[in-house]
Amino acid sequence: MMRTYETIFIVEPSLVGEEYTAIIDKFKGVLTDQGANILKIDEWGTRKLAYMVKKQNRGTYVLAAYEAPPQAIKEFERRMRIDEAIIKFQTVHLEKGLEPVAEVKDVAAAADDQDSDED
Amino acid sequence: MAYEKKPAAGGAPQRRRFGRRKGCRFCGDNTLKIEYKELRNLRYFISERGKIVPRRISGNCAEHQRKVTAAIKLARNIALLPFTSGHSFD
Repeated sequence: MMRTYETIFIVEPSLVGEEYTAIIDKFKGVLTDQGANILKIDEWGTRKLAYMVKKQNRGTYVLAAYEAPPQAIKEFERRMRIDEAIIKFQTVHLEKGLEPVAEVKDVAAAADDQDSDED
Repeated sequence: MAYEKKPAAGGAPQRRRFGRRKGCRFCGDNTLKIEYKELRNLRYFISERGKIVPRRISGNCAEHQRKVTAAIKLARNIALLPFTSGHSFD
């Protein structure tokens, strides 16, 4: 059975360029290996954290939405816990599936997106 | 909620009250999404201290207040919103 999930994870901000893309690719790989079907990867870029996490006050946010069997989450989270480049993550089960979004999710400040969607 | 209450002294004798309570903004505008990622919509419901604004002040209906609360807590978990302002760095 496939369910739709959304994982948001924070990558160490000191990783940029190639190291950063390597991390993204690595976890994309983990997901697909677990039989997940990636729906979207959103990179929010580096932003300030609301509080210190692992002695960091900034972090690079990545949002991944995918369809996966429930067991895949366990393995995926285990891998993220092991990897030191991931400083925090959170997985949410999307009960209604992924809504098609027309808005632009972009970097930086809290006041970012222009709500141009209709529902 | 408080709509049915007798208006306080100074209020109009009818049910109509001026200004004051606006009612639940999410019921009024269903384009507003309550989601932990929509910080713009959530900001309004946290105090300067980082506390969740209670329903009697925010004016939300029970259903939407519950959703807002859940969304804020999710956002806190992933460091998008603070638990408290007491630990601010810089």
